[in-house]
Amino acid sequence: MSLYTVENLGIDIDGVNLVRGVSFSIAAGECLALVGESGSGKTLSCLTPFGLSAGTASGSAKLDGVDLCALTERDIRPVRAAKAGFVFQQPLTALTPHLTIGAQLSEAAGQAGGASPSRAELVEMLRRVDLPRPDELLSQFPHRLSGGQRQRVMIAAAIAHRPALLIADEPTTALDASLRHEIMDLLDDLRRETGMGMLLVSHDLGSVRGHADQVVVLKDGAMVESGPTATLLAKPKAEYTKALIAAAPRLDAPLLSRPKPQGRLLDAQGISVSFPRAGWRSGRIIAVDDVSLHIDAGEAVALVGESGSGKSTLARAIARLGPCDAGSVHWQGDAWPARAKMTTAHRRLIQPVFQDPVASLDPRWRVRDIIAEPLKMLAPEKDEASSVAAAIEAVELDPEMAERFPRQLSGGQAQRVAIARALVADPEMLLLDEATSALDVLVAAQIVELLQRLQRERGRSILAITHDLALARMLCHRILVLDAGKIVEAGEAVALIASPAHSVTQRLVEASRR
Amino acid sequence: MKLPLALVALIVLAALFVPPFLPWSYDQIDWNAVRAPAFTGSHLLGTDSVGRDLLARTLVGTRLTLSVAFAAALVALVIGVAWGAIAGWVGGKIDEFMMRVVDALYALPFMFIVILLMVVFGRSILLVFLGIGAVEWLTMARVVRGQVLQLKNRPFILAAEAAGSSSSATLRRHILPNVAGVALAYLMLTVPQVVMVESFLSFLGLGVQEPMTSLGILVKEGADDMDVIPLALIVPGGILVTILVCLTLAGEKLRDRWAA
Repeated sequence: MSLYTVENLGIDIDGVNLVRGVSFSIAAGECLALVGESGSGKTLSCLTPFGLSAGTASGSAKLDGVDLCALTERDIRPVRAAKAGFVFQQPLTALTPHLTIGAQLSEAAGQAGGASPSRAELVEMLRRVDLPRPDELLSQFPHRLSGGQRQRVMIAAAIAHRPALLIADEPTTALDASLRHEIMDLLDDLRRETGMGMLLVSHDLGSVRGHADQVVVLKDGAMVESGPTATLLAKPKAEYTKALIAAAPRLDAPLLSRPKPQGRLLDAQGISVSFPRAGWRSGRIIAVDDVSLHIDAGEAVALVGESGSGKSTLARAIARLGPCDAGSVHWQGDAWPARAKMTTAHRRLIQPVFQDPVASLDPRWRVRDIIAEPLKMLAPEKDEASSVAAAIEAVELDPEMAERFPRQLSGGQAQRVAIARALVADPEMLLLDEATSALDVLVAAQIVELLQRLQRERGRSILAITHDLALARMLCHRILVLDAGKIVEAGEAVALIASPAHSVTQRLVEASRR
Repeated sequence: MKLPLALVALIVLAALFVPPFLPWSYDQIDWNAVRAPAFTGSHLLGTDSVGRDLLARTLVGTRLTLSVAFAAALVALVIGVAWGAIAGWVGGKIDEFMMRVVDALYALPFMFIVILLMVVFGRSILLVFLGIGAVEWLTMARVVRGQVLQLKNRPFILAAEAAGSSSSATLRRHILPNVAGVALAYLMLTVPQVVMVESFLSFLGLGVQEPMTSLGILVKEGADDMDVIPLALIVPGGILVTILVCLTLAGEKLRDRWAA
């Protein structure tokens, strides 16, 4: 007997058809994953039948025999409250900052119709999601919790009233790689324990392996393929599914040949960065603690670590794009000045690409002007029109994009513009700050391919910041693992991944392997 | 947003270009038609208590009120944007100092000070203008500073630094154009505020000197005579309300559009 059955679901928003012909069925205790790139309609397909998203649903969506599509918004609410639980992508913003964890949990449990839970029951709820010291947590505010802990609280709230169906919309995307599996494992355990069904939404086909029983692949609002996870992953039929599977960076992917590094390019010694504590407290937080590293000409080096390990801060301190309290940076023997004293000759040597492609482009500038900006200041001797055209070609952008504004670009296109801007003045080194992690799997794979090609053709050095070891292995010669502002392990990429010594490295390898 | 702006434009054009073509000027007294109702002789809207043409006076009063308002709003824009942008961009101690100055000026009882100034230095349009301008830029400075603080941490500002852009060039080329929209929206909201302040001062008898007039003075006189010549209150009052509502609506629309 299936718990939740969706048949021929269609969704229209303002007369535009966004989802059509989606059908699937979840039995109690089973997990079904909806997978697709952004804009494929996977979130809409989950939320619209429950009245949690704009748009009107057609077809049928039967939860325990009740057809949600036939109900009015008012009538959906009690069904939703009693039988469904929801976990969303952003654990950092999904909790109200001014209420304690206990107050929010008790509100969530109370809203499902039951009486307010006692303190012992609240403690039990937190214990079920494996949170340490639940007693203390109840009286704490959300800002004291880490992202992973907050997501656990969200899950505790979602399952407080023992829903029959849990809907998890990218529950781990905003979390660190090593945390993702902990959260997914927790959801699996809870599912087995309580026998609830689970509808999982993900953009990453690889990440549902081992968690979902069934997979539905969506593209442009229509079903591409569906079936049991193991079969679908092993023998995908549709081209699109094959592309999705191939796109995820894997630790055993074949390595392309890379240029051999030669001669010392950059030498950073004793870099330390600290920030003043927030609020009225005195003292400073040490973000980077006396770190030294070097990069050779043509060499790609990855800075790997969990979030908060100081990898971005370190890279920015070296590139003189962020604060730096102590330490020296030498470029082929010449000492670099402090951030405010950097000349255009220095700036020309190293160019950054940031994580969020849209935020790193000025919304009021056209693509052409954005790409030309470094050229004007750093390399005025070059011909602007031809250099910009060459950079656009190098990143495989349509030349017509030059007249567009950033808001008219997709995430992948915007990141190509950012890379073109970094390349246009022909720097010696690229600083890639999580340059692919905000992108969809397929788009990220294209960007990685582009970077590999540029590396082969131009032989420039790369300093790449990432939390993804598989990506680091594909792109970089050497990996430096950072934890709490110190380098805890360093070595040749393939060897380091094969035999990680430090516990942080082991965790990261484990996270990338699964 | 089109309708409110069109109404304001109509009022502005009428105030600017119609008075020379009227048979009566705003300070001319028609001894044959004191407190005349509408359509008396060549007085389209009648006359006031001393026989001056109401239409001419209303249009001239509107012109004065609006020019004070736009000039003061412009001063607020220039000082406010410069002050807020510099405070937000430079940050640190300078930001602290500049924003404490704003707080201090905010704390002054503005009306009371303008009235004191009027009493000491006598009534003058320049004083009204200075007093209003000195206060209206404060909100603008805060709004602009907040915007700059938000923009400052965006990666494209860092990318500009990496592209060799100097601090002042980044402020000019990246920060200010991105602040411009919000600043313009608040300019639109400042104009009706200034219209209110000017009208209020004039209503209290602290604005411009007779026979020059403004919407505030006309409303006050109209209120005195409303039992005899109701049009003297309805016409300037209606125009004042129309301007205030239309500009506020347009400003809010503009602000929401830029905030999104």
